[in-house]
Amino acid sequence: MAEYTLQAEPPLAGTKMEIAGVRLWAPADLALVSLALPLGREDAADRAIKSAYGVDLPEIGRSVLAEDDTRLIRLAPDLAFALFTHATPDAGRVVAQRLNDALYTTDQTDVWVALALSGPDARRALERICPIDLHPQVFGLGHAARTVMEHLGVLILRTGEDDYLLLSASSSAKSFLHAVEVSLHNIA
Amino acid sequence: MSQVNRIKGGLIDRSTEISFSFNGKAMQGHPGDTLASALLANGQRLVGRSFKYHRPRGIFTAGSEEPNALVELRKGAAQEPNTRATVAELFDGLEARSQNHRGSLEFDLMAVTDLLSPFLSAGFYYKTFMWPRAFWEKLYEPAIRASAGLGQLSMEEDPDCYDKGYLHCDLLVIGAGPAGLMAARTAARAGVRVILADEDFVMGGRLNAETLEVDGMPGADWAATVVAELAAMENVRLMPRSTVYGAYDHGIYGMLERCTDHLAFSGGKPRQVLWRVYSRHAVLAAGATERPIAFGNNDRPGVMLAGAVRAYANRWGVAPGRRVAVFTNNDDGWRSAADLVAKGVEVPAVIDTRDAPAVCDVHGARHIRGAAVMDTKGRKGLRQISLIDGQMIDVDCLAVSGGWNPNVHLTCHQRGRPEWRDDLAAFVPGRDLPPGMVVAGAANGAMTLAAALRDGVAVTERLGYTDTGDLPRAEDEPRDGAPIWHVSQSRARAWLDLQNDVTVKDVKQAHQEGFRSVEHLKRYTTLGMATDQGKTANIPALAVMAECTGKTIPETGTTIFRPPYTPVPIGALAGRARGRDFRPYRLTPSHRWAEANGATFVEVGNWLRAQWFAREGEQGWRDSVDREVLMTRRSVGICDVTTLGKIDIQGRDAGEFLNRVYCNGFATLAVGRVRYGLMLREDGIAYDDGTTARMGEHHYVMTTTTANAVTVFRRLEFARQCLWPDLDVHLISTTDGWAQFAVAGPNARNLLRKVVDKAHDLSNEAFPFMGCGEVTVCGGMPARLFRISFSGELAYEVAVPARFGNAMMGVLMEAGREFDAVPYGTEALGVMRIEKGHAAGNELNGQTTAHNLGMGRMVSRKKDCIGNVLSHRPELLREDAVKLVGFRPVNRDTGLIAGSHFIGQGDAVMMDNDQGWMSSVAYSPSLGHSIGLGFLKRGDARLGEILRAVSPVHGREMEVEVVPAHFIDPEGERLRG
Amino acid sequence: MIIHHPLLGPRDAAEFVYLGDAALIDRPDWQAENAAEAFHAYGYLRDNPAGVHQELWYHEQGDRSWLVVTRNTVNHEISRVELARDVARARGRGR
Repeated sequence: MAEYTLQAEPPLAGTKMEIAGVRLWAPADLALVSLALPLGREDAADRAIKSAYGVDLPEIGRSVLAEDDTRLIRLAPDLAFALFTHATPDAGRVVAQRLNDALYTTDQTDVWVALALSGPDARRALERICPIDLHPQVFGLGHAARTVMEHLGVLILRTGEDDYLLLSASSSAKSFLHAVEVSLHNIA
Repeated sequence: MSQVNRIKGGLIDRSTEISFSFNGKAMQGHPGDTLASALLANGQRLVGRSFKYHRPRGIFTAGSEEPNALVELRKGAAQEPNTRATVAELFDGLEARSQNHRGSLEFDLMAVTDLLSPFLSAGFYYKTFMWPRAFWEKLYEPAIRASAGLGQLSMEEDPDCYDKGYLHCDLLVIGAGPAGLMAARTAARAGVRVILADEDFVMGGRLNAETLEVDGMPGADWAATVVAELAAMENVRLMPRSTVYGAYDHGIYGMLERCTDHLAFSGGKPRQVLWRVYSRHAVLAAGATERPIAFGNNDRPGVMLAGAVRAYANRWGVAPGRRVAVFTNNDDGWRSAADLVAKGVEVPAVIDTRDAPAVCDVHGARHIRGAAVMDTKGRKGLRQISLIDGQMIDVDCLAVSGGWNPNVHLTCHQRGRPEWRDDLAAFVPGRDLPPGMVVAGAANGAMTLAAALRDGVAVTERLGYTDTGDLPRAEDEPRDGAPIWHVSQSRARAWLDLQNDVTVKDVKQAHQEGFRSVEHLKRYTTLGMATDQGKTANIPALAVMAECTGKTIPETGTTIFRPPYTPVPIGALAGRARGRDFRPYRLTPSHRWAEANGATFVEVGNWLRAQWFAREGEQGWRDSVDREVLMTRRSVGICDVTTLGKIDIQGRDAGEFLNRVYCNGFATLAVGRVRYGLMLREDGIAYDDGTTARMGEHHYVMTTTTANAVTVFRRLEFARQCLWPDLDVHLISTTDGWAQFAVAGPNARNLLRKVVDKAHDLSNEAFPFMGCGEVTVCGGMPARLFRISFSGELAYEVAVPARFGNAMMGVLMEAGREFDAVPYGTEALGVMRIEKGHAAGNELNGQTTAHNLGMGRMVSRKKDCIGNVLSHRPELLREDAVKLVGFRPVNRDTGLIAGSHFIGQGDAVMMDNDQGWMSSVAYSPSLGHSIGLGFLKRGDARLGEILRAVSPVHGREMEVEVVPAHFIDPEGERLRG
Repeated sequence: MIIHHPLLGPRDAAEFVYLGDAALIDRPDWQAENAAEAFHAYGYLRDNPAGVHQELWYHEQGDRSWLVVTRNTVNHEISRVELARDVARARGRGR
């Protein structure tokens, strides 16, 4: 037993509320690892993904759920994120091993914080801060986009009919929560 | 005797009576009223004083073009000046006050200015206040400021909140009159996403103000039916109380939605929302604005636009007068007469400038052909009009119609020019519309109801949205006219711009004085420059100008319309960005620990960083900072340095990539080692510096300065994608991911040995200066350790996943207790780096090169790197270039001043003798005196020399001695120990 | 303005950072005999046309791609948007 131990204090831990009929909470133990496809070795990377997760990397701006509930999000030709539930601070290593180092991985878990929104008016609230079109015909299930909300870079995912997951930088977590919360209050 | 002028009919809810006040006087109205309709219903004709001459003024229009009836609404902090009574929805408890008078509205002391009018004509500002020049600031400007402006600001903080938002649609329809409703219905039935926006709170446009029928029903009822159909459709968004105020690039429109202005209390909800609307197409169906005819004393309360008079009668059930005459140059004016008579209002005369038969039968009215109103009487309200033939008619209201102008404003927001149509005697939209925009209805010159309905469908179908439904049935009402702009026989002043008090004479005078261009006319006379932007004034004034020049109106031109169409409050433009929400803020991982331990915070970019940690008994920040420096140098100090940018760089070519973005070599950096790197701009100027650690074969971690974290990443991406696209390199920011702490001081290693797991050897041999590695701390927690030093002490930076950062700060302090460990903030950090002679932002200020910084030899000539070629330009390598050196005051008790310039002994203080500047200064608690870093010509060769450091800004100078920049441990023994 | 990102579709220009003339892709050869002159021209001499212009935009609040946007500076009409990486390769840039 070491002399000192470290307690995790995720910036938005415990956030849970309902405003305007929309539930807003910070999902616990969400891990995020970036996957960069090596130049000229994309095929090997694709195969490693397929063999590790049982799915192909999706198109850019889309995400897929793998068999183990890992969500693979494709952000750019050579960049994807793996999003999954994982409590211990070794997500990067776990993913790297799983992929046999066929992709460059970087643990992004602590770089980001997540907020989940669920409810029929979630889209109406997001209209106040999100410049991209979230209409179901345009932003379908599993769609993902990086954009800017209230000066903050945000990765937005549509995870269900009325469900969205928003990721933003962890250092500005309070401003991020404030932006989303105010949006809900303003339509309530 | 409330609501003396209320008559039958109208779209108001008579079952409910609501109370409001005007200038403290209690009045009543009904839901559906505007403040203007309620004031008229209560017999209040005088509602304000004019801008320049303080003339009594009344309600002139029934819409957003209103020039006269500007009032203050609400009270206290919520007071809102310059609100148009014609668009303010009435609510129970509304308090309204008139503006721009001293003393009461009835007896305005400033009305004396009207007598001075001969001296206040066009361009009076330019003529009157020119001499003597010194009087401007002291006398003229304060006096003008005191008398200018209309309403009063509360001078309190706006208690309301505002919001912004983003909307997307296939078709944005601007205006919900007959054309707009048909356009929206056509597209909606075609199944595309439609937004229908209207500035009014009831959709239907003029249909609500007219007695015209559509499909056999009253126009207002038909409009309500269409609105109900649209409201039930999922692909339609109806936005009443929403003004589309600007047309921007690529189908983006600005729209202001007034959410709670019609409520007594906002309930904490945004008062207004500023929407950015992204549209594929837009139909502009903004209708038309009636224009007046100018004649003598045409500004008295009771003189109104004819279309407004019948709007008050038809929509609001209000007679603007008991005896209402109509003065018109076109058929449309006759409908006001007919509608008033139908409502039982007496119309003694219809005065038509045309010598033509009656357009319709108006019971009880004399038809006076080929005539015109020349002058009016009535001190605070119209009493009598006189015609050019000398006839006088007693009236208390005159309905004036000079024809209608299509509302082309938004078609011009991207430099489009409207075109003149002789048959309408009006400007219509030109061909160079904003891309994606089409225009329909009266805005497009389709001036009759049937034409507007047809046009609404036709333009929408042309966009590719079709509906097979039948066109609603309606008639083409008579709309002929013969333009007359002003009554030339009038001797008294004839107003063109009511809000800015510009008369026909002013325009003629401007012409006489040589102002020919419309733009000059506008600026010289202030025509159209008020809050209404001359919606009722510009075209008649243009016509007068054309008359003066002998040109046609289209030859004379028109002014350019710019956003906004109607005023947008600053609060709405600011949205949420007020106070603490002005911009996001970023917290370091140990923020909570710092808060609990006496930190004072400083904003660094968006970051809040601990500046120092005050202890009890300390008299000021210097006490705290001095202690933090001394304790760190004596034993050990801890500082959260998370804000430095961290970029994860991976790839087979990562090393080569670094070799090209840093000016110094990185090809030979071994795994487990860290190197200082200097980045140049392509022009050879130093840009940013930091350290890069090689964590693995293809894995590096770069740090940047806090300030440049974002832009360095951007530049690296530029190099990666645009300069060397075939290098295998991948970048991702991890700034927020790692809580990083500097642990500095002679006991740094001893402290870390208690925290880093025993498996890791921290001895100087195993983990030397500029070493790095992945370790575990506190029993298995993954961490990174870098042996780097900014302070000049034996120092490390240890990083743990950010969520453990707050706990890590506590652990480091706990483990450091036996060493008397001290937390230090950015001030102590700054002092120690100056003591050590490290360059920072003050030195990398965009003017200095590696050569200036004393790092010229780092710029390798053997490899390509950004900035290499141009950094070797002879001018940048001059032998007398400034060099970074240290300075200390000859009199050690003196404090150096940053920004001082170096001047030789006996030289005059002037640029020619300038030898460099002091970039950073600090009080060094280690040395006991002030020290500085600065750039001095040939500085490195002048150690020991005495110079003057002069600060003309402070009016001070002092003698300084040139010394090496490394004040502490110049040999670097401590950091290698 | 709206930029039609070749991979992501229409995005508000507010998500982007503007750099300037796409000629910045054509960085000269540092070993060429006239390298100093070439770099001087590269760094300081730009065309500033009133009309069609190829320029670099960075999707900072997006996928971090650099784009070459062909835009008419007079009316803001955007006629073409390409990934700068593709343009760079087509112009002969590699390792």
